[in-house]
Amino acid sequence: MTQLVQVLILGLLIGGVYALLASGLTLIFGVMNVINVAQGALFIFAAFLSWTLWKEAGIDPLLSALVTTPIMFAVGWLMYVGTIQWISGKPASMSVLLTFALALVIEGVSGMVWSTTSHSATPGYFASSYRIGDFYFPKAQVYGCGIAVIVLLALYALLRGTWLGRAIRAVSENVSSARLVGVNAHNVAALTFAVGVATTGAGGAIASVLYPFVPGSHYVWISRLLGIIVLGGMGSLPGAVIGALAMGVSETMTATYVSPRWATLVPYVVIMVVLLARPQGIMGAKLREDVVV
Amino acid sequence: MERAGELALRHGFAAAVAIGALGLLAYPLISDNLYYQNMIILSTLLAIMASGWNIISGFTGYVSLGHSVFLGIGAYTTALLSIRVFEGASPFWFVPVSAVVAGVFAAVVGAILMRTRGHAFVILTIAFLFVMQIVTLNWSDLTNGNHGVTLPLPRWDAAYQDWPFYYSLLGLLALSVALSWWIRRTKFGMGLIAIREDESKAAGVGINTRVYKVLAYIASAVFVGAAGGVYAYYLTFIDPRGMFRIIVSVQIVLAALLGGRGTIMGPVIGAFIFEPLNEVTNNVELLAGPRRLVFYGAFLAAIVLLLPRGIIPSLAEIRTRRREQRTAATVGQRLERPLVRVAERAPAAADPSGRPLLEVRGVGKRFGGLAALDDCTLAVPEGSITALIGPNGSGKTTLFNVVDGTMPHDHGEVWFDGRRIDGLSPWARAHAGIGRTFQITRLFREMTVLENVVTPLRSFSWRQLGADAVSGPEAERAEELLEFVGMRRFAPMRAGALSYGQQKLVELAQVLMLDPKLIMLDEPAGGINPTLIEHMAEMIRELNRRGTTFVIVEHNVPLVLGLCNPVHVLARGSCLCSGPPDTVQHDPAVLDAYLGEDYLAGVG
Amino acid sequence: MRSALSKVLVTMIAVLALVAAGCGGDGGGGEASGEPIKVGASLPLTGDFSEPGVAAQQGYTIWQETINANGGLLGRPVEVVIKDDQSDQNVVVTDYNALIQQDKVDLLLGTFSSLLNLPASAVAEKNKMLYVEPAGGSPEMFSRGFEYLFFAQQATAPHQADLFVEWVNSLPDDQKPKTGAYVIADDPFGGPVAEGIQKGLEAAGVKTVYSEVYPPETKNFDAIATAVAGQKPDVIAQGSAGLEDGVNLIRSLKKVGYSPQQFFQASTPSFADQFSNAVGIDNTEGIFYAVSYDPAAKTPGNEEFLAAYRAKYDTDPPEDAADGYAAAQVLQAAAEGVGSIDDQKALADWLHENSVETILGTLSWDETGAPQQAFLLAQWQSGDEEIVRPEDSATSDTIVNPKPAWSK
Repeated sequence: MTQLVQVLILGLLIGGVYALLASGLTLIFGVMNVINVAQGALFIFAAFLSWTLWKEAGIDPLLSALVTTPIMFAVGWLMYVGTIQWISGKPASMSVLLTFALALVIEGVSGMVWSTTSHSATPGYFASSYRIGDFYFPKAQVYGCGIAVIVLLALYALLRGTWLGRAIRAVSENVSSARLVGVNAHNVAALTFAVGVATTGAGGAIASVLYPFVPGSHYVWISRLLGIIVLGGMGSLPGAVIGALAMGVSETMTATYVSPRWATLVPYVVIMVVLLARPQGIMGAKLREDVVV
Repeated sequence: MERAGELALRHGFAAAVAIGALGLLAYPLISDNLYYQNMIILSTLLAIMASGWNIISGFTGYVSLGHSVFLGIGAYTTALLSIRVFEGASPFWFVPVSAVVAGVFAAVVGAILMRTRGHAFVILTIAFLFVMQIVTLNWSDLTNGNHGVTLPLPRWDAAYQDWPFYYSLLGLLALSVALSWWIRRTKFGMGLIAIREDESKAAGVGINTRVYKVLAYIASAVFVGAAGGVYAYYLTFIDPRGMFRIIVSVQIVLAALLGGRGTIMGPVIGAFIFEPLNEVTNNVELLAGPRRLVFYGAFLAAIVLLLPRGIIPSLAEIRTRRREQRTAATVGQRLERPLVRVAERAPAAADPSGRPLLEVRGVGKRFGGLAALDDCTLAVPEGSITALIGPNGSGKTTLFNVVDGTMPHDHGEVWFDGRRIDGLSPWARAHAGIGRTFQITRLFREMTVLENVVTPLRSFSWRQLGADAVSGPEAERAEELLEFVGMRRFAPMRAGALSYGQQKLVELAQVLMLDPKLIMLDEPAGGINPTLIEHMAEMIRELNRRGTTFVIVEHNVPLVLGLCNPVHVLARGSCLCSGPPDTVQHDPAVLDAYLGEDYLAGVG
Repeated sequence: MRSALSKVLVTMIAVLALVAAGCGGDGGGGEASGEPIKVGASLPLTGDFSEPGVAAQQGYTIWQETINANGGLLGRPVEVVIKDDQSDQNVVVTDYNALIQQDKVDLLLGTFSSLLNLPASAVAEKNKMLYVEPAGGSPEMFSRGFEYLFFAQQATAPHQADLFVEWVNSLPDDQKPKTGAYVIADDPFGGPVAEGIQKGLEAAGVKTVYSEVYPPETKNFDAIATAVAGQKPDVIAQGSAGLEDGVNLIRSLKKVGYSPQQFFQASTPSFADQFSNAVGIDNTEGIFYAVSYDPAAKTPGNEEFLAAYRAKYDTDPPEDAADGYAAAQVLQAAAEGVGSIDDQKALADWLHENSVETILGTLSWDETGAPQQAFLLAQWQSGDEEIVRPEDSATSDTIVNPKPAWSK
């Protein structure tokens, strides 16, 4: 029983971090129908940035999120203006290919700047835990989860409470109507993409402490993130949170009770089952199919 | 002058391909350079995969980013059979088995995966690839897991070097290209392109999309599987990570896009450009290490952004654009007077109170909180021209969608020609005799007008799949129908280039090709000029005289009242009032909900 | 006139004689001369195996510089051509074909990892060329009946930890572990190492309480560590695939707060600074591993190698660099033993019949190319890597046992 609870704790803690990473992906999809396969490579890049700040300036990696987030915002903006905007309106597969290509470029650049050896930020708490009774709570995960919650709440507040947030929601529901009411859809799209990528700034800062990483680490992550947003409902932020927690718990459970080998299958099985049984995911809205697109 | 030039180009291209093929065939005989032989072998392999991919993603429009899964399946089939089951036999014997196994996987998985479209399908193909990799890794009892499978070294004389691999792959490539070429020429291929252009429209005109898609997926997989078997023997060692790699799937897409997807030779040419480039840059110092990834990614991004249609189509486009600049614009031309030569149907009793051809009983359909249809009941008498009018949002188009099978309803029954058709697929309903046009016209834009009219199928048969795309008798019939609607002159034009009104006429001709008992017209008079409206009314009357029943959704009330009987009025999802035009236009509920109090004054 | 002519003649003869003297002989200690001998190899300089790949490249480079400074191979300078196979099997096949056909190399050296060496060695075998590999100890390598293949380390994967098992068996009963946990990477090398230990310890009566395989790219070991800790095993052996997975397991064990009495890892602890920086120097105490190379060993050429490496790269050589150097030494020995490089079969036969002194020690092979010696058992002690077995190679008299608890 103890082990079960412990496993749940671990699953939920890591799920919180997953949620942060998935939030950007789902936001971008919701607004511009683009699956940003480069999200994984971007947050690895951000992790490298955090690592450099920690190594050269001694800044705690988690605090460095304050620096990396704006940097990634700028990167996202540049990506949109430079490449993504030319893809809007084209079929889905084109955006997947383009963002995959960008992922390769980012991976290559990361490798050129930081080399392909393993990196990991190791501040004092990186491998210790809080103990409450029989259970342990790894410190890095706890802090990471905490930051994830803060950022997610901020994101949620942005979407619900500000004009920009409403504009984003309008564009994601109906572009033409949004334009009609005066929303500059292009700028909103650029901003949304930039915000979505900015979340990788915080996510990368956390990831730099959690596990060692190399430029090639992004493949594993993007599969997981895709599974999460498919499960939660592509485009839904609460869905991304639910999906992330579910993913974290099921991966941990499978690794403990079945075998670590089969744990890697979990994201893919999730993707397949969800897309076939309930394509809109848990929280997604069912589309009106009769409207001529 | 133009024709001759185009013919010359075509012949020139064919000649170039033939010379290239001969060159490839002759190469090992004149040179024993293994390095180049290897490069050609890998290019041929990529070409086979790209060519296969093209069938499901180029022709049919279902873009797969996990196509290399069939390479792995084929490789493991051959490897395991030659190691575990038939020790000592040459792996070449099992290459056909690899093809079959790949085809079986495609059939089973395709049937499941292709219930989704667009984004979902792309992601699922990636998921399928990784699932196969992981299962192959973990099921070590069968596959040897991460230890991989080691095949025996080739046993033929060293003087022959890699010839068996070289020629068998070239042979497979030839077969793959031949398959693509054959598909493109047949009804099957035309159906696939229709599916790519507009899948539910294709289903609505009688194409059994479910079967077609699975067949296309199988066709795209078999030669890739066979090539996988040969490849395994060539490498003499395979392992799960090497055989199920996402980067290979990306290379496939890249090669096909580069050359031009949807064309026959495009993927092959793209592969023969891309793979050598890949090999050569591998050895260049400047592009070593991570820089290589940057180059790779930038190249892919450039293709997607700048040359998304590929080399061949882009070149073709330049040529057609130059050509089209010279011909006069045909869009504004006058329509010919229709010569009415449509096949006579035994005229049924045109009595409005006759037996109902179409009956809708208590049909309901909700979208979330909105009830588009709410216990809707009405009947369309055989031989009539029935009208369906009502305010926007009253459920008229939804009703059409429920009847033609585009959309399932929540409850209720739909009866057609004495049978319940609720459970039938859209194409089965088309085969039963229901035809329908759309509010916003839906033609297959990339096809010509003639091809559009020939595409609908009155029935499904396996033999028909292999028939010529446009046969003599069919073309004749299509031209007759086009003449009937007055669009015959436009037969060779691309449907996407027509004006709105012209598209409406072509859509009608399309529907007539099905020889339907019932035609549902969704706002046929919307957005077209009065002359054309009269023209349409004439055609409808003529067809009706010959026995076709009509249901028309319209806002043009004078047209409706002059043409139709009975008239059903829909409001908020249910039928408000039904009856002859006179009765309906005086009904107070109808005036209140739709026509407006001033209506009678205006008519009076 | 006569004296001038004779002076010129004498001078010319003298000059000719000097030139003749300079051209002949091996120039012992001076520059090598003549047509260079091309040695070709492909290595994973990028991709999953880039860390050891780059290290192996360093080993080959040092060897090239050393041999050229000492008169070359059979009097001729050596040129090493290295291609990047990007840790990709497809590319490695292409690379070796290119080396043989395009670059027309005279000799080959292997690549890194069993995964890549398996197809690459098949290319060499097809072309009947000698293939000495610095890494690739998976049993699969040696079950194909190849004649030209040689593995330049002391033993294949299943036997890597033989000395560790021996040592555990030699412990007095009250110190012997009773239970064992085996965390096994799904990797052709790491897997057999752990399985070899499990077999050996089970035979000695150690009860297996956990044995699971994980995918080598696993990053999150918390679940595994929790499960392992729940069983409270005395000895934990991890058949790790590389650096990352080993480091991650240690971190997760720290988080759980569980430290076994004996802890063995394949490969990971051999990564020197990278390892100790990743887990923290205090946490390395007592960790066992098997290694092919010992910097302090008095093996032939080791001092020279160390000096050259330190001078060029400003740090101590990792194991993989030493393995690369050793493979080149084996190649060199075969060429010198036969006296020429024209007959690859003769080179292979010579290696089957003779043993070679390398910086790893003496190496000799059976008919499949599998080496017959034993790995060194090493242990981190006080922040240093020490060899503890076999005793005659040991750099430390003591063995830390039991392993101390993790430090903060």
